[in-house]
Amino acid sequence: MTELIRFDQVSYRYPGGQDVLADVSFSIGQGEMAYITGPSGAGKTTLLRLIAMLCRASRGQLVVMGQNLSTLKPRHVPAFRQRLGLVFQNFNLLYDRTVFDNVALPLVIRGYAYSDIGRRVRAALDSVGLLNKEKVLPLTLSGGEQQRVGIARAIVTKPALILADEPTGNLDPEMALEVMRSFQRFNQAGVTVLIATHAIDLIEALPQRIIHLEHGHITDKRPKAASRLREALADGVR
Amino acid sequence: MAFVEAGLDRPNWLARWLQDHVRVLFFSLGKIARAPLAAALTALVIGIALALPAGLFVAVRNLSAISYSWQDSLQISLFLKDSVSAERGAALAREVRTERGVARADYISREQSLTEFRSLSGFGEALDLLQDNPLPAVVAVTPERQQPKAEVQALLARLTQLPEVDLAKLDQQWLERLYAVLAIAERAVGIVALLLGLAVMVIIGNTIRLDIEARRDEIEVMKLIGAPASFVRRPFLYSGFWFGLGGGLLACLLVTVATAMLEAPGAQLATLYGSDYRIAGLELADGLSLIAAGIVLGWAGAFVTVARQLVRIEPK
Repeated sequence: MTELIRFDQVSYRYPGGQDVLADVSFSIGQGEMAYITGPSGAGKTTLLRLIAMLCRASRGQLVVMGQNLSTLKPRHVPAFRQRLGLVFQNFNLLYDRTVFDNVALPLVIRGYAYSDIGRRVRAALDSVGLLNKEKVLPLTLSGGEQQRVGIARAIVTKPALILADEPTGNLDPEMALEVMRSFQRFNQAGVTVLIATHAIDLIEALPQRIIHLEHGHITDKRPKAASRLREALADGVR
Repeated sequence: MAFVEAGLDRPNWLARWLQDHVRVLFFSLGKIARAPLAAALTALVIGIALALPAGLFVAVRNLSAISYSWQDSLQISLFLKDSVSAERGAALAREVRTERGVARADYISREQSLTEFRSLSGFGEALDLLQDNPLPAVVAVTPERQQPKAEVQALLARLTQLPEVDLAKLDQQWLERLYAVLAIAERAVGIVALLLGLAVMVIIGNTIRLDIEARRDEIEVMKLIGAPASFVRRPFLYSGFWFGLGGGLLACLLVTVATAMLEAPGAQLATLYGSDYRIAGLELADGLSLIAAGIVLGWAGAFVTVARQLVRIEPK
């Protein structure tokens, strides 16, 4: 299995001086799907931001899709980012444009012919079950549907790697499970998927490899559901 | 799965470039069409800012044209000594005519001068009180047109040396003063054009800056999904283009309307001076230059602003 992402003793420190990630090393193979878990502030988002070149590592080597990110020039960052599919907790859609235009945007940026764009966008919308919504504005959709639009936008360029930051954070359990299922489907089609999430129940429902962060380090601990957290606390008191 | 299909071929860079420019052209037009009043006000401010120097330019050019037509009246008057006879005076006129740089030379006798003065000055009766004719004989010399000033001055010096000539006078000072004033006016037009051109860039820059602020989220999203700077920049540059074009067209319209309104009184004034001069408005080439200036300023103003603002917006 070829490596798609390789962290080699990567550290990230805020300009203020606080370490967010310290000596993180792991690798993700092509076609793999993994959850990044850990409490708030453990560095999950930072880890995804490093991969998407939204910030640069303070120390260490980070290679993504064969590209060493520490040597990537700023003007080549957009072209690199075009090779990723990004999904966000707050969807990050353009609310003055139709669902179709939102999903088409990555293709428009890359300059595909309009006839090809139309086919691709409809195929992407079809794969998230929103083909009948292409002409509506995102605000008229439910949260789950908006997130599926975001996913369609992420996969429309057929990236080898999808990064999702708390994709189900704003969704009810049913929608959240549906969204996670669609990630799993893309993974089965050969796409590498990396998801930062708090949603223990979803991880348990759709088990995959887990990279658990605590205080900027990878640990062997595993995330705990709220119900069991209470039991653990009770044990501690006793 | 439906979306897994063969990778698409990207068109070549020229086709991509053209396609995106056409897309943004209509996209930016559509944006203006959705807020026509705001766009019209911006274009109007730009139009007025461009119309001011353009109007001044037209005014100065009209004045130049008028003063150029007055060059015919440029004359050297050779006042002859009283001792010079009429025959000698006429002969002198013929001699002077052969001088280099002289177009015409006419002898005007003392009697002719008197008659002319009587009929034109309105002081004819005053002359009757005088016993003698006080007016000298004159040789009126018209230099050739379009001579350098130095040549005319040299001619004047040569003619002053003639023994028959009492006094030689070049009737040019007022014209020189007018030219000096026009030169200042032309320079002033240049300065005003420069300042107002800057103002246009600032106006457009400010409009674009507000637009960028309003669309900050959108720009962040575009950067997040890998839009290069040129892609993010393009709609704003086209906004600047449209504002500049609209402003240039409005400026042309304003200047044309203004000259049309001044035409009748101008013609009346010219008639009073016995001239058939008509105010010249903005020529086609000037109008096109004005529109082009608007476009260039609009685009440049947008570019400067966008270049400065967009680097500040990075995805969080």
